[in-house]
Amino acid sequence: MMNSLKMNRRRFLGVSGGALAAATLGSGLGQLRAAKSEEDLSRFQKRGKKEYIASNCAMCVNKCGIIGEVIDGKLHKINPNPEHLKSRGMLCAKGNAGASLPYSPERLKKPLLRTGKRGEGKWKEISWEEAYRHVAQNLARLKQKYKNRSSVAFASTEGLQEEFFYYLVSGFGSLNTVRHPTLCLSTNIQGWSSVYGVYPDADLQNAEFVVMIGSDRAQSFITPDSVDFQRFKPKGQTLVYLDPRFTETAAKADKWFAVKPRTDMAFTLAMLYVILEEELYDKTFAKRELHGFERFREHVFANGYTPEWAESKCEIPADEIRWTARQFARHAPRSVIYPGRRSSFYAHEVYFRQTCAMLTAICGCWDVKGGIVPKSSVPLSSHTPLFPFFYDVKERVDKEAVGIVKKVVPSVVDCPLVGTGLPEDSCAFLSERDGSWITFREAVLHDEPYPVRGFVCFKQNPLQSVPNTAKTLQMLEKMEFICVIEQQMSDTAWYADLVLPHSTYLESWDPCHALSGIWPVVVARQPVIQPLFNTRTMFEISRGILTEMLKIPELWDDVEAEALEDFKKTVMQEILEQPIQKYMQHQLKDYPGGYERILEKGVLVPSQKPNYGKTRQNGFRFKTKTGKIELFNERFHKRGLDPMPSYCEPLRPQKEGEYRFLVGRTAWHTHSSTQNIPHLWEIMKENAVWINTAEAARLGIHDGQYCRVTSKVGQQTLKAYVTEKIRPDAVYYVNGWGRLSPGMSLVYKKGGSEAEILEDTMDSISGSAAMHETYVTIEKA
Amino acid sequence: MSQQRYAIVLDTRKCLNCKACTVACKFENDVPVEDEAYRIWVTEMPLTGRFPYLHQEFQPSQCQHCENAPCEKVCPTRATFTTEAGAVLVDYDKCILCKACMVACPYDARFVSLEHKAVEKCTLCIHRLQEGREPACVETCPTKVRVFGDLNDPKSEVSRLLGSSNSYRLKPEKNTRPRLYYVT
Repeated sequence: MMNSLKMNRRRFLGVSGGALAAATLGSGLGQLRAAKSEEDLSRFQKRGKKEYIASNCAMCVNKCGIIGEVIDGKLHKINPNPEHLKSRGMLCAKGNAGASLPYSPERLKKPLLRTGKRGEGKWKEISWEEAYRHVAQNLARLKQKYKNRSSVAFASTEGLQEEFFYYLVSGFGSLNTVRHPTLCLSTNIQGWSSVYGVYPDADLQNAEFVVMIGSDRAQSFITPDSVDFQRFKPKGQTLVYLDPRFTETAAKADKWFAVKPRTDMAFTLAMLYVILEEELYDKTFAKRELHGFERFREHVFANGYTPEWAESKCEIPADEIRWTARQFARHAPRSVIYPGRRSSFYAHEVYFRQTCAMLTAICGCWDVKGGIVPKSSVPLSSHTPLFPFFYDVKERVDKEAVGIVKKVVPSVVDCPLVGTGLPEDSCAFLSERDGSWITFREAVLHDEPYPVRGFVCFKQNPLQSVPNTAKTLQMLEKMEFICVIEQQMSDTAWYADLVLPHSTYLESWDPCHALSGIWPVVVARQPVIQPLFNTRTMFEISRGILTEMLKIPELWDDVEAEALEDFKKTVMQEILEQPIQKYMQHQLKDYPGGYERILEKGVLVPSQKPNYGKTRQNGFRFKTKTGKIELFNERFHKRGLDPMPSYCEPLRPQKEGEYRFLVGRTAWHTHSSTQNIPHLWEIMKENAVWINTAEAARLGIHDGQYCRVTSKVGQQTLKAYVTEKIRPDAVYYVNGWGRLSPGMSLVYKKGGSEAEILEDTMDSISGSAAMHETYVTIEKA
Repeated sequence: MSQQRYAIVLDTRKCLNCKACTVACKFENDVPVEDEAYRIWVTEMPLTGRFPYLHQEFQPSQCQHCENAPCEKVCPTRATFTTEAGAVLVDYDKCILCKACMVACPYDARFVSLEHKAVEKCTLCIHRLQEGREPACVETCPTKVRVFGDLNDPKSEVSRLLGSSNSYRLKPEKNTRPRLYYVT
């Protein structure tokens, strides 16, 4: 990559003019095409055979459109895809930096089998055939030993290849799967779904009044929202932003309120109070669509959720709360209280998210232009793989381990959360596939209700993503077999017995996927470059492991013969043993020319038009118990939970000098997966703990000085960033540093890890980790 | 006179400080991962006020492509030159690394490139312009802080933006007459 300009320089001596590349990418700059001939600028051109290949990004969850610019077979740059409606033709820092991934000297290239102790870093390279056999034999061994397929757990995170990981899971038959949502957005899903039955989007392009609470959209990128909220911000739109930190989003906001952590709900309840008391709500909509409106109004009034009451909790002036509520109602239905993405903040979070959904409901800002809009999708033809029914299977541990919640949620059993409507035995609403990471791990640690001794992990890194690393390490120690499928030597891979190298998204065929939203599109991936090493995709890895599994009779002794034959035919022969392109063609069979188009353009955009109003048609039934928009939640009521949101006091520091620890993001990193990429690493080589200027002065801490940050569960040492940008009662640092794996050499033991100090507190309605419930002390190192 | 006059108009109010432009530039122009090597940057302007009343702006910047370019004037070998459309460029073959231009530039836009064995800086992605493509930073920006175009075309987006907004240029006291305009 680095020598292309040098080549220009040499050629400059002999070549004039030079052929211009044929490709012109929709920039509307045709008039600039012709360089003045008397100025020989051709020396600046990049020589070589250029190809432009459309695909989609995988540096985070958004799947934005990319065009790989390949020069002489080498990926030179990744450009944004102007046709990708969801990503609005942009590409962020991470998306750009993806171009170096295939060439990283630290990427995994061959299957590695551990030869030393776990975490010692001694490996032996083995062939893929040996690796597949090794996995199959270990799965068989654990299944025989425990007579329970669920004794092996499978962890994964989202991505286009994840569905093939689930082919492996279903072919083995474990019910213990655990995914990322309970570290991310499951409280948001539960909270909004409790009112509407779905988790919706916000129409930031058309909203007149926007309230964002703790969603730092300027740094934590979600497309199209991170683009829309500034690029297409309509004239006159007002953005009100609540965050204990002055983030980049706060810098863009018309008003920033440095809300006291864990009291956001006092703010939203008081907004509801003002709107109800002053009768500013949408009366027609309330009458027609809302279930439990009167009871809810009574509830808010009876509890006295006035702005003055709220000010005493959240430290936002009552007149500002009143102003926000009135503006919200005045601009309705073009008012947004932003649902956001990651919402794993507090142990009571579902109720806070429920209040946001209710504000939307009473003002009628639902499913209209400029409001909150349920997602639309693009239907794809599905395959019908038939997986066997296995007899030796027990129910998931996080569902069955009754009473485990008390062990992991001290805040639930300790004052002041007692009797605040949170379940204490088990999580109220678990998604079957997602599970609950915190509950799952606790159940495994206690062997409740049975032992889990195998762990197969696809691209997740629980040692950095799940609060309380010490417990995750203990969990891994219990395992008799750990297999990690990864691109890089993540912390979790470092502690594995077998590491399988996955191809990068730039070398991979990935199946089609509909990205739902107000502007739904379909994406897929094709190789931008040919694979550089002997890596495989999950599609190929599942085929390889399942093929070896079929050679071991013990793995199929609790299956009906007919079911096994169906599996061989519908899963192996018809899908995994076929080229993946056939799978993709089938997905798009209802779109004539769709497959060719997605290869050419990288994306299928059925319509440029936003989708509004499908739930506003007469007779529409919401996916709630009553079929209406519920302000009184019947499902919660039936489960013995509070059917309506009630404020509960936050946990307080237990001793003098404790600060609430906050979690957040930068725009150039995705969780713990991108810190070892040089182009991103150089932007901020170490993380630093934010501490308010006055507090730092009190503690004698100077900017840039190393500090120890200590919680109940861990301690990290990192630099201080002394700033006015954070409340005096909170501290913060970003995720991704303080790494355990020497295979992430740029950040190995550099800076501080979040997961190491986060307590494993939980919201027990959704099973979500509560990542802003940890108190820490800070002192000079 | 050239048919075109290149300019970039920046609306920094839209800048998220997300660094997409700086990373895109490094890949596009093979600028290595090194502390001193960068063609463009995003400055976090000083935070003003006291908690909780705070204000901060972010200012992306780069070579200003000055019409009255001090770097060009001081260059003893005439390695630095200006195209008719207004791009200030360096002929790496002629550069003798005397660094006079680095001293002369009021914007600190230049650095020594070990790759080119020359002083280098933003070229407006002149190689992309020749192919009818926008500069990489302009193309990749999520919120479209930067708009590139031709000031001689009254219908261009840059002309429209400058006509409909107030704008300023950096360090006007230096009389460099940059082709980068910041709108307010």
